[in-house]
Amino acid sequence: MIKVEAFSSPGCGKCAKARDKLKAIIDELGQDRVSWRDVNILEELDYAVDLGIFSPPAIAIDGELVFPALPSPSRLRAELVRRLGKSR
Amino acid sequence: MLTIGKVAASLQVSTDSIRFYEREGLLRPAKKSEAGYRLYTEEAVRRLNFIKHAQQCGFSLSEIRELLEIKGYDKACCNDVYRVAIEKKLLLESKIKAFKAMSQALTKLIEICSHDAKPLDACPILSALESSMAKRHARPKRLPHSDGASNR
Repeated sequence: MIKVEAFSSPGCGKCAKARDKLKAIIDELGQDRVSWRDVNILEELDYAVDLGIFSPPAIAIDGELVFPALPSPSRLRAELVRRLGKSR
Repeated sequence: MLTIGKVAASLQVSTDSIRFYEREGLLRPAKKSEAGYRLYTEEAVRRLNFIKHAQQCGFSLSEIRELLEIKGYDKACCNDVYRVAIEKKLLLESKIKAFKAMSQALTKLIEICSHDAKPLDACPILSALESSMAKRHARPKRLPHSDGASNR
């Protein structure tokens, strides 16, 4: 199971819209294969700092900062498909 | 109109600081007197207070410039300032973490020292630093990370 974590600050309208589009990819690939977690950066500041996040929104995959800024849906999809292929 | 001395005294900053902020493009006098003295409005005092407070929160001059630009931009909103504040907080927290790690490394070095009058070549702190340097040089180089490296 691949773990996607989306870090953002509360009240960011643009982030919420972009996140919804990215979340749809998880549904497409299957929630049994990829999980999604919304992380409020202010509630998990230590974790965000450990991952090296300096500017939300950002996306970590399996505990690693992969997208320091929100990627396009196609980039996230490509990254997840690549990882799913590897884990087979 | 206020002279530089009065502005400085009202916020307990030096006149040199005010001239420095002027050179940095953060604060300008409203005009100069016939004798060439800088004269400021109350707005300049508020702006100086803002700069001083932002510095106390750890903002650098370029970040303060950004905040002042946001403040003066009609289409900007609270979220723009909020974003800058969160980014600053993340940067500060990462520095605190790095400083704590440094402090813990020093604690370990201090603990191994018997703090007596041994010659320097028997100094446990110096030899520990040398051996850790040697270990670092001996460590094989890591291959570049292919996973997602292009995204970083």
